[in-house]
Amino acid sequence: MKVELYNRLMSMSRRDMLKGAAAVSALGVAGGYAASTPTFAAADDLRAAILKIPGVGKGSPTDADWQKVGEMTLGATKASIKEGEFKGVELSFMGLNNQNLHNLLFRGFLKPWEAYTGAKITWIDLAQADYNPRLQQAIASGTIDFDILEMGAPFEGDVGGKGLASEMPDWVKKQIEFDDLVNYLKPPVGTWNGKQIRVTIDGDTHNFNYRTDYFADADLAKAWAAEGHKGDWSVPNTWQKVQEVTKFLKGKKIKGQDAYGYLDAPKGWGGFGFYFLGSRATAYAKHPDDKAWLFDIDTMKPRVNNPAWVRAIQDEIDALPFEPADQLNADPGTTGFQQFLAGTGSMLSWWGDIGSNAKTSDSSVVGDVVGFSILPGSDDVYNSKTGKWDTLASGPNFSPNMAYLGWGVYVMARVDSDSKKHKAAWSAAAHLGGKDLSLWTAAYPSGFQPYRNSHFNIPEWVAAGYDEKFITSYLKSEADSYNHPNAAIEPRIPGIFQYYSVAEDELAKIFAGKATAQAGADAIAAAWEKLTDQIGRDSQIKLYKASLGM
Amino acid sequence: MQTGQATAGGQVYEAAEQNLSARRKVWGRILIVAASLGLAIMVMWQLLDSMGVIATGFPNWRPVAFAYLVWAIALGAGQVMIHGENGHRALFLLPALLFTIAMVIFPTFFGLYIAFTDWNLSSFTGQKFNGLDNVRALVADEYFWNALLNMVYYVLSVAVQYAIAFGLALLLNAEIKARKFFRVAFLLPFMLSPVAISWMIGKSLMEYRFGPLATLMRHLGWESPAFFATPWIARLSIVAMDSWVWIPFIMILLLAGLQALPKEVQEAAKVDGATPWQSFWQITFPLMLPISVTAIVLRIIFQLKLADIVINTTSGGPGGATDTVSSFIFREYRDRSNVGYGTMVAEAYLIIIIIFITLLLKVLRRWMREENDA
Repeated sequence: MKVELYNRLMSMSRRDMLKGAAAVSALGVAGGYAASTPTFAAADDLRAAILKIPGVGKGSPTDADWQKVGEMTLGATKASIKEGEFKGVELSFMGLNNQNLHNLLFRGFLKPWEAYTGAKITWIDLAQADYNPRLQQAIASGTIDFDILEMGAPFEGDVGGKGLASEMPDWVKKQIEFDDLVNYLKPPVGTWNGKQIRVTIDGDTHNFNYRTDYFADADLAKAWAAEGHKGDWSVPNTWQKVQEVTKFLKGKKIKGQDAYGYLDAPKGWGGFGFYFLGSRATAYAKHPDDKAWLFDIDTMKPRVNNPAWVRAIQDEIDALPFEPADQLNADPGTTGFQQFLAGTGSMLSWWGDIGSNAKTSDSSVVGDVVGFSILPGSDDVYNSKTGKWDTLASGPNFSPNMAYLGWGVYVMARVDSDSKKHKAAWSAAAHLGGKDLSLWTAAYPSGFQPYRNSHFNIPEWVAAGYDEKFITSYLKSEADSYNHPNAAIEPRIPGIFQYYSVAEDELAKIFAGKATAQAGADAIAAAWEKLTDQIGRDSQIKLYKASLGM
Repeated sequence: MQTGQATAGGQVYEAAEQNLSARRKVWGRILIVAASLGLAIMVMWQLLDSMGVIATGFPNWRPVAFAYLVWAIALGAGQVMIHGENGHRALFLLPALLFTIAMVIFPTFFGLYIAFTDWNLSSFTGQKFNGLDNVRALVADEYFWNALLNMVYYVLSVAVQYAIAFGLALLLNAEIKARKFFRVAFLLPFMLSPVAISWMIGKSLMEYRFGPLATLMRHLGWESPAFFATPWIARLSIVAMDSWVWIPFIMILLLAGLQALPKEVQEAAKVDGATPWQSFWQITFPLMLPISVTAIVLRIIFQLKLADIVINTTSGGPGGATDTVSSFIFREYRDRSNVGYGTMVAEAYLIIIIIFITLLLKVLRRWMREENDA
């Protein structure tokens, strides 16, 4: 769980807790969203016990708590490993130390594992900013000095593509109950050349955050009708409507404040800003009949300058004059935390952090007026194969942007030559990716979001003390994105962030009026072609196909 | 061989001649030659290994670094053995010289080699020599030229910073109340990290929605006080923040110069009836020229490295209007792992800076000479 969401939990009163407990039984009867998932009554005693460590309202978890959770979830390890089996084995683990989480949690979780198995782990802790250069340098210079690696899926191309990752043994797949993963995290994500290489410990997607008070405002509804807009005044579910609402809101007031619609993030963000254009583009560019949406599969020819992407860029150009005056200097951090949570704007695409901050952050004023859904769709979708826009019989085309694909634990191929070390490394990774342990990381501060179907069992959350309405809306937007059949999956090719970074530079020029959408998109495509040639076109095509499971 | 050391008084102290045995000198030479050979062999061996000619090298270059260290020690010891007291003298200089070679000169030349390679860390083929491709790419790179043009604007702003700093230095040099307090207070911005300043000022004080400066501007009639949304306002905002950090640096140098000025000349001018204006332009300013030139040149060198405030506040935007060469290099390295081209940009920029500063010094020296002759 993200820290902020947990802080909110901590601030709940005993009365809220009792209400939450009552809601558990109510939900059991009512069914609803939770009906498709296991009921609380059927939940394992162990899971309920884990959620009591340290217990809601009893302060932030400490190393002792992490160790306790590690100890309680050691059952699966004990079933497959004999006590002391890895005595003398030394493993090196490289990961992050963001917010004093990640590696720090792993240390606690793995301490009982070390005591039981006899293995010893040494740690390489990195700040987020140091992570990519350290990893790339280790790969490029052939100085891999770690056996286990915490890594985001976009880097799988860099690691998997160079044969540096070990293949997951079947016993690990069984131990971590692999089938419980949400759909989009199943293969091809986490695989390379058909081989499973990752123990997933996190999930990521962009969802759509909106202000419920805007769309319930009678004056705005009246003005909407008076201006002759089609349909009721309601939350837009297509990008066409998002554009219309954004333009409509310019110059309007809500509760005495200037009203604004969608918030774009035109300023670069170290490559991560490109995900936000991606969220505008997926509904246009990701056709249900085509796995690819960013590059042509057989040639790596960029699609970023096709009519779908150019339309998304043009939408942003058209929307910017209707957004706050300094929007040109807004990066995603600004739109999310200084604007939307602070009460400016009514619609935003972001990761789950907005939902988890909405009620917990001191600077948030939208906690009670925020709603969530999957990203808007489009009335038509571009078909790259025919070069035409298709209108689907099923209605608008939706395509949630699975931006970043979450964190995972990987075992490096350098352990493969030592069977004992190989087994030890995979056992440690499996322990961290265990089903029960993951429930705890989903519910307490860990830096990780829910990523298993079993994490969306609402009664477990309500029993833990969450406000039912809020958590249901929030988790539903996440789960519906994760399990969407037309989700846009990021290409896990080497250097993917280099492509994003180059694009950000060109986009900055476009949004500053120095180039048209088409000319700018052509420049991005040209830069991407150059980059593909530099990294190696043939290998990129091969790896792109591998990343799509083809 | 001249072994003496002349003092200010003109006396020359000779190092005491030692009767060094021929054998000792021979062993000294043998030590140096052996260490040099050892180092050369190790470098060659590792070089051949990394080129794939042989396969028996070390796993990395660390042993070669140790060999350099051993060679440095042997070189020092050999100097003492061969030259005695004069060898001891060399020991005062050698460590600094060898350290500079290892940490500055070698990396610069090694960087030049990297600059002529195609080296993207994500590339499967690794590092490849690509001749003048990076130079051609640089010449055609509009991001580089845009950033370089921005650097011209930023460097020109140093003149304004200098004028303000001179004014403040004159004020702090005058007999004003709480002079010591103001001297410390005016230095505070310089003590702060530019990263902190870009957050405190650029992202907070100048924030469009709730920033106090934006609110003040609204009160003063600027309807949309967006400091970073249009090219020239964004550039000026960056310059303002950067100036706030660095003006105290120029000011403190000028203040030191002002305090060192001979009082008699100024008092004589006063007695002769010169106005404060005449006194400044005819006496203070010309006398301050040497320190002014030093301050300006140092400030320009720092200015040419501007990156932190830009990266944090605008990321070079809007549309590259505030980009600097350093922030562009940062993006090439950090975000794009484009080591070969990034190094080419850095080396080319270094050469541009050296040429520019050399020309600047030459022009300033000539101008100062003309001023003095006049």
